[in-house]
Amino acid sequence: MNVAVTTQPKRKPSFGDWLKTLTFYELLVGMKATLTHLLNYKPITLQYPHEKRLLPDNYRGMLALLRYDDGTEKCVGCDLCEAACPSRVIRVVSGEVPGEPTKRYSKEYYMDMTRCLFCGLCVDACPVDALGMTREFEWAVYDKRQLHLNKQQLLAIGDRSFPVREKRLELQHPNVAFFNVTFKHLPQKEN
Amino acid sequence: MPDQKPETVRLTIDGTTVAVPKGTLVIEAARRVGVMIPHFCYHPKLKPDANCRMCLVEVEKMPKLQTACSTPVAEGMAVRTATTTVDDAHKSVLEFILANHPLDCPVCDQGGKCDLQDFSHQYTPTTSRFTETKRIFQKEYFSPLIETQMNRCVQCLRCVRYCDEIMDVKALAPVGRGTMTEIKHFGPHELDCEFCGGCIQICPVGAITSRLSMYEYRPWMLKRADTICTFCGDGCRITVQTKGNELIEVNSAHGAGRNNGDLCARGFFGFHASSDADRLTHPLIRREGKLVEATWEDALEYVAEQALRLKLAHSADAFGGLITSRCTNEDLYVFQKFMRQVIGTNRIDSSARYGHLNGVQALRRVQGTHRWTIAFEDIVAANALLLVGTNITETSPITGLKVKEAVKKRQASLVTMEALQPAIDTLSNITNLALQHFPTHPAQFGNTVLGLTKAVIEGNLVDATLAQQAPAFVQRLTSALQGISWENLEAVTGQTRTQWTETAKILAGANRLVILVGNGVLRHPGGDATVTNLLDLLILLGKLDKPGCGLGPLAEENNDQGAVEMGAVAEFFPGPAPLDDQPVRDRIATVWREELPRTPGASLTEMLAAANKGSLKALFVVGENPVGTLPAEAQAAEALGKLDLLVCQELFLTETAAMAHVVLPACSYMEKDGTFTNSEGHVQGVRQAINPVGDSRPDWEMFSALSVLMGSPLEYGDAREILKEIRTVIPGYGLLGPTPTPPKVDQAVLSGYLTQGFAGDAATRYAVSQPRQTGDGSFTLMFVQTLFHSGKLSTHSKGLLQLQQEGFLSINPEDAARLDLADGGQVKVSNSRGAITTTVKIRERVPAGLLWFPEHFDGEAKQLAEWTIDPRTQIPYFKLAHVSLAKVS
Repeated sequence: MNVAVTTQPKRKPSFGDWLKTLTFYELLVGMKATLTHLLNYKPITLQYPHEKRLLPDNYRGMLALLRYDDGTEKCVGCDLCEAACPSRVIRVVSGEVPGEPTKRYSKEYYMDMTRCLFCGLCVDACPVDALGMTREFEWAVYDKRQLHLNKQQLLAIGDRSFPVREKRLELQHPNVAFFNVTFKHLPQKEN
Repeated sequence: MPDQKPETVRLTIDGTTVAVPKGTLVIEAARRVGVMIPHFCYHPKLKPDANCRMCLVEVEKMPKLQTACSTPVAEGMAVRTATTTVDDAHKSVLEFILANHPLDCPVCDQGGKCDLQDFSHQYTPTTSRFTETKRIFQKEYFSPLIETQMNRCVQCLRCVRYCDEIMDVKALAPVGRGTMTEIKHFGPHELDCEFCGGCIQICPVGAITSRLSMYEYRPWMLKRADTICTFCGDGCRITVQTKGNELIEVNSAHGAGRNNGDLCARGFFGFHASSDADRLTHPLIRREGKLVEATWEDALEYVAEQALRLKLAHSADAFGGLITSRCTNEDLYVFQKFMRQVIGTNRIDSSARYGHLNGVQALRRVQGTHRWTIAFEDIVAANALLLVGTNITETSPITGLKVKEAVKKRQASLVTMEALQPAIDTLSNITNLALQHFPTHPAQFGNTVLGLTKAVIEGNLVDATLAQQAPAFVQRLTSALQGISWENLEAVTGQTRTQWTETAKILAGANRLVILVGNGVLRHPGGDATVTNLLDLLILLGKLDKPGCGLGPLAEENNDQGAVEMGAVAEFFPGPAPLDDQPVRDRIATVWREELPRTPGASLTEMLAAANKGSLKALFVVGENPVGTLPAEAQAAEALGKLDLLVCQELFLTETAAMAHVVLPACSYMEKDGTFTNSEGHVQGVRQAINPVGDSRPDWEMFSALSVLMGSPLEYGDAREILKEIRTVIPGYGLLGPTPTPPKVDQAVLSGYLTQGFAGDAATRYAVSQPRQTGDGSFTLMFVQTLFHSGKLSTHSKGLLQLQQEGFLSINPEDAARLDLADGGQVKVSNSRGAITTTVKIRERVPAGLLWFPEHFDGEAKQLAEWTIDPRTQIPYFKLAHVSLAKVS
C-alpha cells in the first residue's frame, strides 16, 4: 500500500492555546475525571474469595467423570480421550467389568491435571459423554502431586458438579440398544 | 515351480495401463497400480466368493457393475473404480451393512484397525435412511480364547472359508439366511478346533476377536516387534504387539515370513509364557542347602571361582555343557565358544540330540549337506509328497499348511506313513488328504519304508542312469531286498503289497517329489537308518538331485538346525564340521586366537554316565531340564546330584534348576535379539519386544561375563557382533540372508556314498527289524507332542493352558469299547516299570493298539517309557512304552 507521508505545516499557537497553558487547563480536565470517580465511587476489584465472579456459560473448568442416573459409570474405557488429548493428560486402563462378562469399562483412569490445557478435546471425543467440564477452578495446591487424579477422585468431582444425571444410553437411544452389554451366562475373562 | 513364462494381459485401470499375468483378478491388478478397491470378502489367500459386493467397479462395455474380486482380467479391459456410479454402489452397500452393524466401535477391539470403519469414513454420508431396530443375535458362549460378537458380522464368510480352505479344519459354518446369517461352530459345546487364530486375523470387522487380549488395548497404543516364534521348527514370523512392557497380542501379516501370515495355536495364543509370574527374576545361589537370592556379581563370581578351582583340581574334561536348541544362534555360538575356549572341553550337547541329529547325520552322510535341499516353496509346488512319521498338524503345523496347500490347491499326490488313522476330528488330519495312507505302528516306519523301496526295485522303477553309474549300490540293495519276502513285510507292518506297488508308481511318476520326515521317525529307535533308507529311495528314483525334489527332516525345536550349525553338539565344530577336520580347526583357531580342544566330545547320555561315575564334576545347563525330561532310567537326578558345580541358566525354576548350585535368570525370546534357524535352514532375525523380566539377561551375556571373570574374555557389544563373528567362522554364512537358496547335493559325497559309503551298514539297514519283545502288554504308548504345547514355555502360557492343562490318554474307540472305557473315565496304565492312573479321551485318529500321551504332562507317566540309546548317533530314545490297560471304576 502506498501511503504518502505528509508533514503537517506547524500551526502558529493561538491566544487560546496560550491561555490554556497558563491556567493548567489540561490538568484541571484530568482532575475533573479523578474527582468525579472520587465522588461516585464504585469498586471493580472483586473481593475474592469473599465475592465470586459470574462464570460464562461455556466455561471450561476442572474435568470430571460422570455417571448415569442409576449410579453406574458412563465411561466404557474406549481410550478415545487419551488419543484426543494433546498434552497426554489422560491414561486409561480398560478391562472387563468384574462380574459382568463382555462389558468394557475403564479399570483405571488417571488425569495429570498439571499438564491440562482445558481445551476440552477429550470431552468432544468421548462417545458416551462420560467426561464433563465442571465450573470448578479452585484447584491451587501446595503439592503438585495432588493434581494427579484417579478415577475415584474424578467421579467424585462429577458427582458434586453434575447432580442431574442422564438416563442410560440404551434408554435414550433405543436403536443403539446393542452397546456394551453384559452377558451373564458367559464366563468371566481370565486376567 | 513351473518354469514357462506366463501369458500376460494388458488392461487399463483408472486410465493407467498395466500388464498382468492372465487369470489375475481385477482387484489384484488394481493393487499393482496402487488403486485400492474396497472389499470385505476377498482375501488373496482364499478363493473369490464375491458375496460382500463392496468391490464393484465399472468395466467398459459391460452393462452392469462387476465385482473386482471375481472378475479375471481380459485383454483391453478398461476398468474405472472411482466414478459416480461406483461411488453410489459403495454407499449403498455400506448403508445396508450399517443398517445392522452396531455402532459400538468404542468398545470393539477392532476399532482403529477395522475395514468397515475405514470404508465408512471414506465412502458414506454420515446419515442412514434406516430407522428400524438393528438385528440382535442371541449371544452364545464360543470359546475361552475366541470371542464372537455376531451383531458386528458383515457376513463375508472369510473365517469360514479360511478354516476350510487353508486350515482344513472346517470348524466354522454359516447358519441362517440373509441378514440373519450367523457364524457358528458345530455341536452344542463350546468351540473345539485347532485355535490357529486365523479367523481372528482374517475377520475384517470385530465379529471375531481374541478373548485373551480382549479390552486390553487399542490398536494405536501398540508397539510392534517382528520376531520369530519359538514353539517349533517352522520358524514363523510373528509380530509381537506390546503396550508399555506388557505383551498384548501376537499376529502375523499376510505375506510375512515363511508362514505367509498363518499361525497355529502356539504361535497365536502362546506368547504369555514370557510374562508368566513364575519367571526367575534374580540369580539364586545355594547357601546351606537352600537356593537364596543373590546379586549378579556374587553369583557370577561364585561360578567363576568354583569353575577355576575345579579346572585346576581336575581337568577341562571334568566339565560338561548342555544347552537347549531354543536359544538363539548367538547364545548357542557363545556357549560352545565358552565351553571350548574358556573351559577347554568338547563335552557339550544340545537338545538337537533328541532327534534332529538323526536327520542331519543322514543328510551329511548321503548328500553332503546339513540342510534341506528343498524349501517350503518346493513343498507347495511338489507333485508328490511323502510324509513319514510327521503327525504334521500337531508338530509342525505351518509346514503342514504347505502340504495342505500342495494337495488342496495344486492337486499334489500325498502319501502318508503315519501312526495316525484318517478321521474327521476337531483337529485337521493330514491323512484325510492322502491318496495313499499307510497306518504305521511307531516301531514299523523302517519296515514300511523297506516295503516301498522293494516295490520301487521290483517294479523296475529304478532310475536308468543310476543303474549304470552305481551298479554296485543298486545290486546290493536289490539283493538285500530280494532276501526279504513280501509276506514277511506284510506280516510285520500290516500293509499290503498292492499298496506299496501303487505308491511306488505314484512316487516314481512325480517330477517333483518331496519327502518330509518327522519326529515319529527321528525320535524313535532306528531313526537314523530310516532317514538314510528314505534318501536311498530318492536316489533309486533318480530324484535326489533333481530340482524341487529332496528330503526334509522336520525339527521339533525352533533352533535345532541352528544348534547343529553353531557346533553346540558333541561331534561338531561350528559349520558344522567334524572335530577331526583340521582345516576347519585351523580356521576357527585363527578367529578365536586360541587352539581348539582335541579331546573327544561327549553327548548328553555320555555326560550323565560320566557324572554318575564321578569323572564329570561340573555341568553348565542352559534352558534344558534333563531331570524333568528324561525317564528315571536315565538316572539324570542321581548324576546331577553328584556334581560339584551345577549352573543352570533358566527362565523358570525347573526340576534341574532346583538341584543347581547357582541358577541364573535368563531372558526369553521376547526379550532378546538374535537369530533362529528354522528346519529348512532360514536364518531369521529375532527382535526384542519387551524389556528383560526382572534382572534376567540373555544367555550369551552371562557366558561373556563369566569368561571375563575367568580370565579369557569373550567380549561382545551386542548380538549383531556375535553374528558377525559367526559369519567369519562359518564360510558362506553371511551370504545366506533371510531367504537363502537351498544347498545343492554335494556330488562328491553322493558318489562316495554310492560307491562305498552305503555298504557299511547296508546289511542292518536293509533287514526287517523285528518288534521288540518286552512282554509288557499289548498296547504301545507313545509320548506325543500335541498341537497346543511345545517346548518348555508353553506350559506357562495362560492361553495354551486354557486349551490343554493336563495329560490324558488318547485311545482308539474300538479299543475303548473293548475295555469298556468311557470318554473322561479313569484308566490304569501299567508295565513292568510302573503304573499310573489317568483320564481317557477317545479319539478316532488314534490307530487301534496305540495310546497317546502328551509329553508335556508326562510327569509321572514318563517312568513307563523305554530307554534306549542309538549306537551310531548317541540319541536317547524314550518316547515309547509297551503297556497294559485296566479300567478304574
